[in-house]
Amino acid sequence: MSEKAITRRSFLAGSAGVATLVAGGFVGFGSWKQAKAAEKTEQPVLATAHSMCNACSSKCGFTAYTIDGKLRKLIGDAENPMCKGKLCARGYGYSQIAYSKDRLTDPLRKNERGEFEAVSWDQAYSEIAEKVASIIGSDGPQAIAAVQDPRPSGKYYTTRFVNALGSANVYTHAAACDLSRASGFLQTIGASTYSSDIVNSKMTMFIGRNYADAIRPSSVAQLQQAHESGARIVIVDPRCNNTIAFADEWVPINPGTDLALILSMAHVLVAKGLYDQEYVKANGVGFDDWAAKLVSYTPTWAERITGISAGIIERLALEFAEAAPAASIEQGWRAAIGSAYRNSGETARAVCLFNTLLGCWNQKGGALFTSTVNSGALDEGRFPKVPKPAVPLLGLDDYPLANPATGSVLQAAKLAKDGAIKGMFFYQSNMAAGYANPAYLAEALGSLDLMVVIDVQMSETAMLADYVLPDTSYLERTEIPEFIDGMVPAVALRDQVIDKVLPNTRPVDQIYGELAEACGVGEYFPFTVEELADAQLRTVGLSLESLREVGTSFFADKAYAYGAVPIWNTPTGKIQFTSDACVKAGLTATPEWLAPSVMPGSDDFRLIGGKQPIHSHTQTTNIEDLMQITKDYDLTRVWMNADRAAQMGISDGDTVQISSSVHSGTVRVKVTERLNPTALWIPSHYGCSSPEQHTAYGVGLRQMDFVPFHIEPAYGSAMTEEVIVTVKKVGA
Amino acid sequence: MTFVPVWGGIIACYLFLAGLGGGAFITASLVKRMHPEATGVVRVGRVIAPIVVIVGLCLLMVDARGGLYNPLRFVFLLTNPGSVMTWGVVILAVFVLAALIVLLMDLIGKNEAPAWLVWVGNVFGILTAAYTGVLLGVVNTFPLWNNALLPVLFIVSALSTGMAAVMLGGLITCPEQVKGMVDLTKVHLVLPAIEIVLFFFLLFIVAHVSTAGAASVAAMVSGGYALAFWVGIMAVGLVIPLVIEIRALRSGDNRGLAIAGDVGVLIGGYLVRYIIIVAALPVVLL
Amino acid sequence: MARYGMLINTKKCIGCYTCLVACHRQNNLLPTENFIRFEERETGTYPNVGVENIPLQCMHCEDAPCAAVCPTGATYIGPGGVVAVEEGRCIGCKYCMAACPYQVRVVNESTGTVDKCRFCTVTATDGTKTCSCVEACLTGARTFGDLDDPESDVSKAIVELNAKPIAGDLTKAKIFYVR
Repeated sequence: MSEKAITRRSFLAGSAGVATLVAGGFVGFGSWKQAKAAEKTEQPVLATAHSMCNACSSKCGFTAYTIDGKLRKLIGDAENPMCKGKLCARGYGYSQIAYSKDRLTDPLRKNERGEFEAVSWDQAYSEIAEKVASIIGSDGPQAIAAVQDPRPSGKYYTTRFVNALGSANVYTHAAACDLSRASGFLQTIGASTYSSDIVNSKMTMFIGRNYADAIRPSSVAQLQQAHESGARIVIVDPRCNNTIAFADEWVPINPGTDLALILSMAHVLVAKGLYDQEYVKANGVGFDDWAAKLVSYTPTWAERITGISAGIIERLALEFAEAAPAASIEQGWRAAIGSAYRNSGETARAVCLFNTLLGCWNQKGGALFTSTVNSGALDEGRFPKVPKPAVPLLGLDDYPLANPATGSVLQAAKLAKDGAIKGMFFYQSNMAAGYANPAYLAEALGSLDLMVVIDVQMSETAMLADYVLPDTSYLERTEIPEFIDGMVPAVALRDQVIDKVLPNTRPVDQIYGELAEACGVGEYFPFTVEELADAQLRTVGLSLESLREVGTSFFADKAYAYGAVPIWNTPTGKIQFTSDACVKAGLTATPEWLAPSVMPGSDDFRLIGGKQPIHSHTQTTNIEDLMQITKDYDLTRVWMNADRAAQMGISDGDTVQISSSVHSGTVRVKVTERLNPTALWIPSHYGCSSPEQHTAYGVGLRQMDFVPFHIEPAYGSAMTEEVIVTVKKVGA
Repeated sequence: MTFVPVWGGIIACYLFLAGLGGGAFITASLVKRMHPEATGVVRVGRVIAPIVVIVGLCLLMVDARGGLYNPLRFVFLLTNPGSVMTWGVVILAVFVLAALIVLLMDLIGKNEAPAWLVWVGNVFGILTAAYTGVLLGVVNTFPLWNNALLPVLFIVSALSTGMAAVMLGGLITCPEQVKGMVDLTKVHLVLPAIEIVLFFFLLFIVAHVSTAGAASVAAMVSGGYALAFWVGIMAVGLVIPLVIEIRALRSGDNRGLAIAGDVGVLIGGYLVRYIIIVAALPVVLL
Repeated sequence: MARYGMLINTKKCIGCYTCLVACHRQNNLLPTENFIRFEERETGTYPNVGVENIPLQCMHCEDAPCAAVCPTGATYIGPGGVVAVEEGRCIGCKYCMAACPYQVRVVNESTGTVDKCRFCTVTATDGTKTCSCVEACLTGARTFGDLDDPESDVSKAIVELNAKPIAGDLTKAKIFYVR
């Protein structure tokens, strides 16, 4: 732990405010009594250290201020490219996880009665190792799999451990997040994502992406800067989300029809010859095939599908043409492009092709492939190479377009149900509540011979496990460095900033190292996380010590420059207007209109979900500070369009019963003008069913309960919004 | 964020008891003047008056948890002469002191309490009742409170509930003394009638001057508090006792009915404070 | 002596609650101890709609009704015009809460006393430069400073943006809103 001590003298001289804080107690963070005791004994030890947030995947850098090893406050690091000196509500609130009374304290094993009982680490390790050996013995190492929600150490150690056992089966949450986007982009431009240069753009369109509710502080700042400097910002979303504050226009599209909008805007550009023909010719392959298909996608055609008038569609296309190349459709993340619909992957392809028409790749204000720095090769003596597993990642046969870096975790669940995968490890993944239908996942994961969950609290996934291993919180451990893409690429560090709170918890690196040892593959883990971090940093001219000093370090020599023609990492080396792989996977060669798998009628709704700015999926709902806001502002309500509500005799605050083909539940309604009439919007965070999360348990409905288990063909995503619900007023 | 009333049942009870105590003391003085022979009834009034106010003050201290945990802080109560609550503490203290001395002298029975002391009790009894209304009246957050009618309503209600409490006590302990107090029955009759009129004007005016006022009145007469308002206050607390008193004037006393009427007045009197406290909605800012 | 005040530009507010949680964490408040509350207003009808998020907190009124009614003198107007609460005098009678038309005073459930926004800039230290809500605001919707100094950021912004108290002359509020 790097500490810059603040002297008692400067502390006292500092202010009455802090003195009050010390004397008055640490009510929020842990024990008030201990703070009092500390006051009585000697001078409190004040310290600061840099680290990174874990409330979402943005991993903002901050400086932690501590007193006697306990967290006092966080201040965002001004240099950190993710936060630019600001943290969000989730970041401030989630810091309390370290002191949560609902933390897991000891390794747990499920006994015959289905109850958890505390066991020693050694016993847990040896029993897990025994079962791992038995599974590998009978079914081979490919029957072992792991799921992790990528975090620096978690990703590295999970992958290394599973590979060391001989399995390639490491999955992420992507199937319920951005799998279709990454996979569709890969098919088209050979990269899994890009970054819209919003600040310098003349026009940027957001499709289902919502910077103001799914907050990354630096992105909010960029959007605001773009808006204030006159960029035209268009929000395409069934819901008028809070990003509207910095947008010029809300396009209230029928959910699931974004593909039609893009195809139709492309139609306008091509039909009027308003696209960058030279650029398309030089960089694309198969454009003529797409153009031929586009002919029928007129704005009038799209109006019927999207609910957006032909006039608006045509105007948007013309505005794009006017703004090009300083314009783009933003890369999106989850939702429409990421994983929500049967056409998400095809929508992702269409987005790339539309941007190609604008000729905006790597142009100022366009869509950029910014710079990356990664750790170089390490000394194999100290960090032995793990042999490549013989059998590749399972599930890619069935979902051939799925990004191989993440795979389709839903197909893995299916394979678990079918018995092809028998042992699974989970790291910071609440798959059972967040990725797809929980009832299906409980059944699928219930068929495993071995299920091990490493987490900080009793998640719904942990409840299903045979063994639950208690991780330290992110504030209590050092992780390997995080390399950050950007205009100037950077590296940042998650470091231990507070004393360990619960003595019998262990950090993820230690857990995997010890598990490996017990499973007989300890030879791949002969190093500490500090040694690994330092070695990685030395390959880029830094050291653990030097990075600890600053928290975030930049590689100015690798700064991005506009104008470079990207290397299109596709099979053809070009931007693929047509893709052979897509044809092979049963799709059309070029992205054509593909209707969602279900459509609401006049009496029902499509259930769509989304984030609120105070929560990260299901991970933060047990944080008291954040859940109190949910309660104070009745944030578990579903949103319903005001006209539809009036037709149904539903008033704001009424309780309704929502039913899909697989689930039913009651909840209050927020009647609003800010929602497309065909949709019912539900926040995606609530409905915790783990009684040991005392704050979150039983609050609100869980979106995934309503969604039948299904997988997007070819791409492998969860199709989280392919669900129709009926709504009935309770008591009517 | 939905508005949560600042105060609730405990403070309503405090305001109710303070008013009732003042009213009971004045009732005792009236009885003593008009029916000197009804010493039992007078004593009931003089017993009730200080006790209920003391109980009310205890309730206030229970509700004020900061002081409850640190009782010495109540010493500071006298430090802001600009606060109605500070006046209230002074008024209640003087009243309780006067009422207790009057009661003690009454109980010891050697000397009659001096008239001036009884007058101090009477005046501070009225002030106590008025204070409970002024406490709310000076708060301009709530249009339902922030008007001059409310203290008047509270004074009338205080007299009414005080009288009902004394009569109730009398009917239980010395019913023969209560019989034939026709003049008091008339007073007892007039008060609910005045209250109904005051209530009508209060609600009418409040509903017309602001959005929040209209919403508060709506909550009382047609919203979540409508049942308590119409059944509890209007029927049980005012109209039924009124009818019972009218019947008593015409057809003579009926002890059972009289008890029922007085109990009704007390229930209604409490609900008046409770509903006015919880139904009040704050001014709309935006 | 300075006369502290704040400007809140609701046109920049995205309703993200960051100011509230930052206030909680940096000031070590209980989860229920909300010094900031939010009003949300929809404008227009589908699809031409807008939303206005309005954070409200102690306006540090020059004629603070909470201080006027406080029977113990626990609430007072301190240096810099900061309306402050001396916890050691507060009996928790909640009269101040009733008197505050902005409903921005809150009971500390553990002590039973009433608390509120402290304009914590005044005591900011150790890396914190201004009020936690101001420092945390992702969009710079908040500006804090000396209203008596015409050159202060807040004074200039109030003039430039024609900021006004949220409820006219309801009280002499020292938080100015751009709407």
